Amino acid sequence: MEETLRTGWLAVDFFTHSYRISGHVDVRQRSLADILNDPTTGFVRLEDAYISPIDRPGDIVATYPTPHLVKANLTFAVVPHQEDALSRKQAYGRYLGTFLQQIFLTVPGFEIVGYLRLSSRVDLRRVLTTEPNDFIAVLDGRVRVSLRPDITFTGGGILVNRHHIGAFCVIEEE
Amino acid sequence: MARILVIDDNTDLLQMIRLLLEERGGHEVILAAEGEDGLRKALENPPDLAIVDIMMPGMNGYEVCRRLRQEPATASIPIIVLTARGQDIDRKTALEAGADLHIPKPVTMSELLERVNGLLDRGRTSPAIQLGGTIAFLSLRGGVGCTTLAVNMALFLAQQAKQNTCLIDLSPSSGNVALHLGLRPDPNWSALALLSTGIGTETIATYLLNHPSGLTILAAPFIPVIGEGLPRDKVLAALHALRHNFALLVIDLPSILNDATMAALEQADTIALVATADPASIQATIGTLQALKGFGEKIRLILNHTAPGQPATPKALERVFRRPIDSVVPFDPAQAQALARGKPLVYTSPNSPLAQAVTAFVPALQPASTSRSATG
Repeated sequence: MEETLRTGWLAVDFFTHSYRISGHVDVRQRSLADILNDPTTGFVRLEDAYISPIDRPGDIVATYPTPHLVKANLTFAVVPHQEDALSRKQAYGRYLGTFLQQIFLTVPGFEIVGYLRLSSRVDLRRVLTTEPNDFIAVLDGRVRVSLRPDITFTGGGILVNRHHIGAFCVIEEE
Repeated sequence: MARILVIDDNTDLLQMIRLLLEERGGHEVILAAEGEDGLRKALENPPDLAIVDIMMPGMNGYEVCRRLRQEPATASIPIIVLTARGQDIDRKTALEAGADLHIPKPVTMSELLERVNGLLDRGRTSPAIQLGGTIAFLSLRGGVGCTTLAVNMALFLAQQAKQNTCLIDLSPSSGNVALHLGLRPDPNWSALALLSTGIGTETIATYLLNHPSGLTILAAPFIPVIGEGLPRDKVLAALHALRHNFALLVIDLPSILNDATMAALEQADTIALVATADPASIQATIGTLQALKGFGEKIRLILNHTAPGQPATPKALERVFRRPIDSVVPFDPAQAQALARGKPLVYTSPNSPLAQAVTAFVPALQPASTSRSATG
C-alpha cells in the first residue's frame, strides 16, 4: 500500500458566515464527523488555526495556537477525503445497499453541491428535522461563495450544519 | 544529489520527509521548524530546492516564499509549497507568492519524491521559453495522440515555462482532456451554450477547473453533445474572455471541421496538426492540409509515433505531405499508464521520451511572427 505523509491530525477548513478557519483536529480516536456530532460538547478544539476573511480566503490575517470553535455557529467544514467526513461506523464496509443522491444546499453566504450517501429514497423531512446528527456529510462537495462565485472550495467531504441550511434541493439525474 | 531545505513546524513530518529525501532520493536535507529559521538557513547557504509549509507560527509560508524571491541569492531556487491548505485559492496564493509548485497534504511519499526530482530536473533541462497567444491542436483522424500532446504541452507551459496557461477541450464527444489530468469534468463548457448573456471574464472563470500544476482547464462535457457542440459565437466569446485572464491558450480541437473548430482555428496563432504514420492518418493529414490551405503559415506538422516500430520515416512522409515535418514524437510505452493514472508524463516523468519531445518542440510552436522577429 502506498505510504502517505500524514499524522493523526486532520487538516480541516471550517467556515462561518464570514471567515475561513483552517487548522488541525486530533482524529486519532474519532473521525471529524463523530467529533462534530458529539452532543456532549458544544466546542471543537483546533491546533494552529489560521484565519482568513471569506472575501480573501487565501490571505492569512491571524493565527492562534489552540482556539476553540463553537459548533453551533459553524456553517460547514471541508475535509479532503470522503472517509474524513463520515462517522467511523459508516466509513468502512457500508457501501452495499447504499446509493448517492446529488443535492444542492444553501447556507448563509454559500451554495453547496454534492452527494448524500443514502440507504433509501431521500426523505427531506427526515434529513432536516428528525436526523439526530447536527452535521450531515455531503460527499464530493463543491462550495461556492454566493457573492463571489469565482471563489470555490472543494473537498471529498463537507460536513454541513443542518441548522444553517436555507434551501435543500434534490438534483434529479437526467 | 541535491541540497534540499525543508521548512515545516510539524517535527514528525519533517523527519518523515528527511528520511524520504535522504534514503530514497539520495539528497542532502536541511531542516527548519520555523519560517525565520528556514529563511536564515536559505540565505546562509542557498539550497537547490526548498519545500515550505504554509501554516507555521511566526512567519507563514507565503511570507517565506516572498522573502526567498526577494533575495538575489535565493530568487531563482525552485520552491514547493506543501500545505494542508489545499484549495484552488491556496494554490493561486502560493504561486503568486513565488512558489513553483503547490502540493496539498496529505501526499504520498512516491508523489512527493517524483515532484521534487521533476522540479530539480526541470531546472537543469528547461529551455528559455517565451510563448504567447493561442495554440490549437488538431487531427481529423482520431487516436493519433492529439489530446496527449495538447495536455502535455499545456502542462509543460504552465508548470515548467511558468506561462499562465488555460487548456480548452472543444470536443463535443466526451472529450478526454480532464481524463488525462485525473479530473472530473465538472464544471465544463456545456452550460456556456445555453447562456443568453455575454461571456465575460468573471463568467468564464466559473466554468474552469484547476489542476495542482497551476494549469487551468475549460473541460468538455462528459456526456456527448447531440448536434454541433459550442456554436461559433460562444467559442469566439469564450476565447476572447480567456485571453484577458491567460497569457497562453492551448486548444484541443475535435476531429471535425465544424463551426467551433473553424472559429478556434481562425483565432489560433499556431495550429499544431498531429499525424501518425498509418495510412488513414496520412490520408486525413493530406486532406486537412488541402482544406486548411488558407491557414498555411500557422500550421506546424507533428509526427507522433503512437505504436512501436512504425515504418515510415519523416523524410518519406515529408515527400507525401509536400511540406516539412516540424517535430517528431517517439513512441513512449509509459503513455498508456500515464493516461490510466491521470498523470501526464510531463508532470511525473520529465525525462521520459514523450516529455522530452514535447519540451523540444515548444520553439517550433512559436507563432510565425515571433519566429521572424526572433531571427531578425
